[in-house]
Amino acid sequence: MMVQIDMRSEVRAAIASVDDPEYPGLSIVDLGLLESFEVEPEGVVQVGLIPTFSGCPALAMIAQDVVDAVEEVEGVSSASVSWLRSPTWSAERLTQHAQETLADEFTVAVQIGQKAPVCPLCGSATTELSMFGPSRCRSVSRCKNCSETVEVLRA
Amino acid sequence: MTDSTTHSTIDFLLTFADDEHLMGQQHTEWIGITPFLEEDLAFSSIGQDELGHAVMLYELVLELQGIEATDTAIDELAYRRTDEEYRSSAFVEYSTEDWAQALVRHWIYDTVEEQRWNMVAESSLQPLREVSVRAGREEVYHRRHANALLDSLLTSDAARQKLLDALEVLTPLVPSLLAPAPSEQAALNDGVVGGSSAALDSLLVEAIQDRFGVEVSFATIDQPPQARLTRSEHFAPLIGRMREVLDYDPEASW
Repeated sequence: MMVQIDMRSEVRAAIASVDDPEYPGLSIVDLGLLESFEVEPEGVVQVGLIPTFSGCPALAMIAQDVVDAVEEVEGVSSASVSWLRSPTWSAERLTQHAQETLADEFTVAVQIGQKAPVCPLCGSATTELSMFGPSRCRSVSRCKNCSETVEVLRA
Repeated sequence: MTDSTTHSTIDFLLTFADDEHLMGQQHTEWIGITPFLEEDLAFSSIGQDELGHAVMLYELVLELQGIEATDTAIDELAYRRTDEEYRSSAFVEYSTEDWAQALVRHWIYDTVEEQRWNMVAESSLQPLREVSVRAGREEVYHRRHANALLDSLLTSDAARQKLLDALEVLTPLVPSLLAPAPSEQAALNDGVVGGSSAALDSLLVEAIQDRFGVEVSFATIDQPPQARLTRSEHFAPLIGRMREVLDYDPEASW
């Protein structure tokens, strides 16, 4: 029994070791992409992920990274990834650590609900400049206080 | 599901998916040549969303056909059918002549698309309901974008005239977009979709009146019977461009 629990936590750690290709150093688990995973008898692992948005071009890459990482775990015979239709990703799924890393390492703010995102540099409110940005999941805002142009991660 | 239900559902989904696919493709063709950088970013993102919606709908089609939705299978469905097997509208097949047409088409298309997702929000097909939640959320940005840009452009006389000219060119194509899937009645009966395409007509007439201050009528425009079963003259060159890279090396793995 103990062995199985250990294996489950090792599989989870392996999934968490995969970074989002857009944010090297930030785990897909912290970004809220992991919805579920099952460790079946014989060491077959099935991972359920959700995409941040439907047309994300990085899905195949992320799935392959997860398969590679999980298959490294001792006792795992094979791993597969399914992209789930439900639930729908939203910025509420980001962990506190993810929000801090985005702000500190990438100067990226986060749009949660309708609230104006906060400037990662000075903590002031921002206004939206463009609802689209350098990639599909980012818009562009400007800080009302320090005038910094800020990318905003959003659904 | 019975065989005939599956068949009509697939046909209904393909009609939606093909419009999404070709609209997404058309948006991508403006990347790099829009009037300003923000629009390049917007059209690449919006185009990416529409292609993403098309993929989700093609996946549903493949699942109903009992085929595993691999990338290869999706590409086969998206790019390799015969002209007659597509269900796209002349409205999305049309290659725009200028930016004003692209912008007005974006606004009209997303006005209709938002309603289409609403119409499947309560679908009897559970995965379609799930897809509509994600797509509906993305659609909010498309509508906001088109409206924000039009709000600003319609205050200038020169821009307003260009937009109205574009609307005049696009209006005769709108009935093709509103034309139902050949199987729409069956899809309605089965609860796959909760509203008919015909309901979109008056809604769009009203939206155009509010947006552009112009009265249009689609009912008087001649339309081929079963418009969804025929392709317009713009389809062949468009699908040719779409297949160009695939045809260059059919065996390549992407």
